Amino acid sequence: MWGSLPILWSGFILTLALSAVSIAGSMVLGLIVAALRTARIPLVPIVARAYVEVFRGSPIPITLLFVYFGAALYLGYSVNLFVAAAVGLSVYHSAFVAEIIRSGIEAVPAGQHEAAQILGLKAHQTFRWVVLPQTVKIALPPLIGQCISLIKDTSIASIIGLVELMKAGQSIVDRTSDPLSIYLTVAVFYFALCYPLSVWVTRKQRKVVHQ
Amino acid sequence: MIEYQWRIVLAYLPDYLHAAVLALRITVLGFVLAFALAVIAALARDSGSRVLRFAGACYVEVIRNTPVLLQIFIVYFAFPTLGIRLSAVTAGIIALGVNVGAYLTEVVRAGFSSVERGQLEAAQVLGLSRLSVFTYIVAPQALRNVYPSLVNNLVQVLLGTSLLSTIAVPEITGVATVINARTLLFVQVFGIAVVAYLILSYGLSVAADVIRRLLFRAPSAGRPASGTPKRRAIRAAIGTRP
Amino acid sequence: MTNPVINDIGRDIRLSGVSKSFGDLQVLTDVTLDVSDGEVVVLIGASGSGKSTLLRIMSGLETATSGEVTVGGVPMHDPKRAPEIRGHVGMVFQQFNLFPHLNALGNVTLALRKVYKMSKDDARAKGIEVLTRVGMADRAEHYPSQLSGGQQQRVAIARALAVNPRIIFFDEATSALDPELVGEVTNVMRSLAGEGMTMVVVTHEMGFARRTADRVVYMADGVIAEQGPPEALLSNPQNPKTIQFLSKVTDQ
Repeated sequence: MWGSLPILWSGFILTLALSAVSIAGSMVLGLIVAALRTARIPLVPIVARAYVEVFRGSPIPITLLFVYFGAALYLGYSVNLFVAAAVGLSVYHSAFVAEIIRSGIEAVPAGQHEAAQILGLKAHQTFRWVVLPQTVKIALPPLIGQCISLIKDTSIASIIGLVELMKAGQSIVDRTSDPLSIYLTVAVFYFALCYPLSVWVTRKQRKVVHQ
Repeated sequence: MIEYQWRIVLAYLPDYLHAAVLALRITVLGFVLAFALAVIAALARDSGSRVLRFAGACYVEVIRNTPVLLQIFIVYFAFPTLGIRLSAVTAGIIALGVNVGAYLTEVVRAGFSSVERGQLEAAQVLGLSRLSVFTYIVAPQALRNVYPSLVNNLVQVLLGTSLLSTIAVPEITGVATVINARTLLFVQVFGIAVVAYLILSYGLSVAADVIRRLLFRAPSAGRPASGTPKRRAIRAAIGTRP
Repeated sequence: MTNPVINDIGRDIRLSGVSKSFGDLQVLTDVTLDVSDGEVVVLIGASGSGKSTLLRIMSGLETATSGEVTVGGVPMHDPKRAPEIRGHVGMVFQQFNLFPHLNALGNVTLALRKVYKMSKDDARAKGIEVLTRVGMADRAEHYPSQLSGGQQQRVAIARALAVNPRIIFFDEATSALDPELVGEVTNVMRSLAGEGMTMVVVTHEMGFARRTADRVVYMADGVIAEQGPPEALLSNPQNPKTIQFLSKVTDQ
């Protein structure tokens, strides 16, 4: 069992890397989609809304498989599994990030927009200095919660063959036939990564309720 | 050419249909299990016993901080080493039920605490037993207040069935993967799968809404007094709608 | 003082034949009103009378459906020129609308730094100056959540003053305050009036109207029913609607 730790560890590192890249990607994409949802150009908000609804209503494996086979079709079978997984995870979670950001933006009362307008602030200044700081404060706990989900969802990249932590565990189980201790060890890895973040989120959300 | 591709894939509709029915079955059974676990865990977490509180918290935190795919693998692959051998479908129902149950625990707790203190006090003064208070006052209102969250989690179970493809359950994603291996028309194959999930989750929301309307009918002014004298007294004391 | 805020907007308001409807709902009908330089005009009336809408049209938050609106020389009815008013008049809201993530000084200096491009030090100096003016200089580092309602509203007034406005609009500035906090705000408003600020005030505080207004305008159903000096209108109203409204108000 202990001999398998190095393999699990390298899988864990890959999980960390995939998580970091996908979190960054989903945040950037999510911000763009949230902006598109509030845009004044006709049709754009509707398309953005459809984007959000489709991803929130479908399971991640389908998105990942779509990206994987799509890349395979256009790039041949030398698809970089890490990139495919990162793209799939980023795109999927961007839909949720967009919703969280949009709620944060809309939580800023209209009265503050009016006050800013009277003071002479232009629309982009109001967004940068009045709306955005408050949005970040409101949206940060749910966004971190979304990160926790994303870290767990990296395990699904195993279905396209990426040897992250989950797949590493699977491959060891296939060889040693000791599923219980291996999978429990894998569980400890994920728990150690996610639990501290969960504690932070719960603490922050309790503060909001108390205000 | 495109039309020809669509016709090939659409010929598999019966397979999609069977897969969808199986997914629905797993979803409903899994949700029932999840709800039962959630009520037990919620009561444990808010009980007076430190052991129960700790146990409840452990359940919720461990499940919520580990991937559901891992939990599915543990139930299907690791349990046999403990002597518990389950079919893939049963393992799926149990794993998804346990998983969503942890999230539902918090929803149920929120529901319990959403019922105002004042109502409990009014009921106590009226002499109601604790069981009556729970059944007639707390449960209905808690249910109504957190109903949307319950439906959300129901949809989460449905989306979770997709992961059961990894343990060879012939649900939608599994079936789509097989069809894709045969036809290589991944756009159409997985496109239909996405549509299937969207239809199913929409259908579940609609069904849930219908059930909600049936359960929580607002009393109209012209209706004659209904229920036993005890229930009528409760309603008169605390008002029928929050 | 280096980097002064130049505000060369005029100080008077001219409304002519102003009407406003929201869809089918006619809120203002053919309102004509002039406010001269340094005048304090108080608008009173029941909810739905159109007084707040009139105020918001004057400050540029709403546009009139028809009629001419000229504020400080800016033709507000011309959509291309209406934005010129921004940053040159002040408005104090019923809900304060302070920015919760900035402290009092931050709230007051935001426009100075971003719109007038003042340096941090100059903005801070001006900020302390206006906060002193409303008696809140010792709370400059406090956040809105740490201040009482009256204190928050005084900071809001300071924020409006920071851009050297010639005209300040007050939209029920004391309606959301506990009664014992109203006085500290109306005192500040009174001293502003004493300095010659042009003020248009929507309020229910008859005491303020009596003591500080140069003219009281009573509105009902979207038109000006009666107007005149406070002693005349409040003590000796002519219009039956005015009489009825005032009797209801003083009954409270």
